Amino acid sequence: MNKKIKQSLAIVTAAALAFGLASVSSASAAAKTYTIGYQGPLSGGEASTGIDEQNAVKYAIKLFMAKNPTIKIKLVSIDDQGDPAVAGTVAPGIGTNKSILGIVGPAYSGATIASLPYYKAGGLALISPSATRVSLTDPASPDFGSPVFHRNVATDDKQGPALAKYATKGVSNAKVFIFDDQSAYAVPLAGYVTSGLKSVSGASLVGTDSVPNTTTDFSPTIAKIKTSGANVVIYTGYYSQAAVFIKQLRDSGSTAVFAGGDGVFNAQFAVLAGASAEGSRLTGVAGLADVGAKVEAAFKKSMGVSSGVYAVEAFDGANIFLNGIKAGKTTRAAMLKWVNSYKGKGIGGATLGFDKNGDIAVGGFSGFTVTKGLLKNTGPVK
Amino acid sequence: MFKVLIDQFWSLTISGVALGFIYVLISLGYTMVYGVLRMINFANSEIFMWGTFGTVVTNRDLFHYTQLSEPAKGFKLVFVLLSALLVSMAIAGITAVFVEFVAYRRLRAKGTNRLATLISAIGISIALSEVMRLLTASRPVGSPRVLEKLILTEVWGANIRLDTVITIIAAAIIFFILERFIKLSRMGKAIRAVSMNEDAAKLMGVNLNRVITTTFLVGGLATGAAGFFYVTVFEYTKFNIGFTMGMAAFTAAVLGGIGNIRGAFFGGVSLGLLEVYASAVLGTQWKAVTVFIVLVLVLLFKPNGLFGEAVQTTRA
Repeated sequence: MNKKIKQSLAIVTAAALAFGLASVSSASAAAKTYTIGYQGPLSGGEASTGIDEQNAVKYAIKLFMAKNPTIKIKLVSIDDQGDPAVAGTVAPGIGTNKSILGIVGPAYSGATIASLPYYKAGGLALISPSATRVSLTDPASPDFGSPVFHRNVATDDKQGPALAKYATKGVSNAKVFIFDDQSAYAVPLAGYVTSGLKSVSGASLVGTDSVPNTTTDFSPTIAKIKTSGANVVIYTGYYSQAAVFIKQLRDSGSTAVFAGGDGVFNAQFAVLAGASAEGSRLTGVAGLADVGAKVEAAFKKSMGVSSGVYAVEAFDGANIFLNGIKAGKTTRAAMLKWVNSYKGKGIGGATLGFDKNGDIAVGGFSGFTVTKGLLKNTGPVK
Repeated sequence: MFKVLIDQFWSLTISGVALGFIYVLISLGYTMVYGVLRMINFANSEIFMWGTFGTVVTNRDLFHYTQLSEPAKGFKLVFVLLSALLVSMAIAGITAVFVEFVAYRRLRAKGTNRLATLISAIGISIALSEVMRLLTASRPVGSPRVLEKLILTEVWGANIRLDTVITIIAAAIIFFILERFIKLSRMGKAIRAVSMNEDAAKLMGVNLNRVITTTFLVGGLATGAAGFFYVTVFEYTKFNIGFTMGMAAFTAAVLGGIGNIRGAFFGGVSLGLLEVYASAVLGTQWKAVTVFIVLVLVLLFKPNGLFGEAVQTTRA
């Protein structure tokens, strides 16, 4: 860009900012303004995740301000591109900016680790909707984020046991066959399911397989399932493969219970598999559309776009801060205390609250059963 | 370890043969072009993928079947299936001719070396798959169930299902027709002549461009038929399925002896069987490993593949 254009752009921007600030301050003369932040990738290759999450935060703020006209909330967008190196350069300024009471985010685990020292020093409360690395809440790890770090998303070491439980629910003498799609997501999850299965009484593991995610002919796996005599089949891959598999399993005459994790948890699963998907049991974290079609429609009307992944988590996280502001927690120290002892309900009905390491205290995974082609929420898996 | 194989031997064998026949038809697309041009048509995998969409579009948009509608019966079933087969073959055939025009003909006329056409074929295969990715928004596409997966009978504990039976019989018929075409028809003879000696064939008055276009067309038709069977059996397709299936079919072609039509047949069927047996005995994670170990062993002792001869020696 040429220098002249740059300069004139800067002037225009400055003017716009001044004008914008002026108009805000005049409009909100009676209202008090508080600031919270959102941190995540807002530009770069991962931007869609961050933009989706930030939209949910913006939506929460919009609803909050409509209900509480005397409180003004300002959102600071902190773009770390999901990159630890970028996060390390933006976090120091945010850490010392005392007007920011709390941050929804950071979205990514690596960026969280890079930012943590500055936020710990500033006593700034964090609620991440999507940073799932186990070490962040592990007291033995150098990445341990307590007391400032919290997340209201459950990790796969929690999902595994939940999936094992949900898949075998009501099945007496459950003989379980587990297979994965060889991905970095599916293989560890299959491991967590296997270990979770040990605590389900009466259940036993009768076979496993590991199927490349490009497979369309599942007949060898189905042959194994039949030979093993399994009455429960758990798949830890993604929905498109699961849809192909479940059709073939049902066509082979098997009536074994089919269950999958949040990779299979997608409305497209039921669409692709049609009648074969009926009765499939999936664990997942409810999205806004799962919470209710009306909720999603209201979101779309207000924000102009559909909600994305982690919308519920980001929305709930923002509300924890907003409720704190409403309750008069308007310093960082008060806000951090508020978050650490928070108890409440999320938009999807999930229990919100954190354990002493910052992890979401209660399960976090809901069970869904495919009923008449729709994913029907049967409540949290307990 | 072998319990699964013993217990489910016939089920595995039947699905392996059905899968193998799909491989056979795709590998014809590779082997025909190789036989004539001595070049690998890397775009054949995407021609297959476009063929699968032909069946989906026919079932879903032409005949308005949905995931919830009842499977077709009687005369209508035959009509819908035949239409889908023809649409898939037509789409794949046209795509194959298009590939020849865009990626091969001009470069050949300019007398470029073979590597240039290799790259242009890879280029057009990327273009074909990207266009489909954009058209389908990167999503997998399910096909409604038109053919009910009736279990016809049970033989030695294995279910004989209608869709696999149709696949095996129809694919064998299509293969047989193509083989006769190459062996007996005038154009087939011209194809074999070009395959044997391009210059001599030209001197004898064979229209080279027409022969090459026909070769692509025939390969495309076979590949399109494979697309139809694939969707009928698996009821699913996606913009990127070409790579896996194309790789397998190419392996089958090399296993049987690339350039040899009967080689494609035996290569395809043995690959299908090998894949299901290896997956059942060793676990699916060992499928590709086993397949390529067998391929390497075969090539070690028979460097030209099992049948190791080119199209021209398939004498009438």
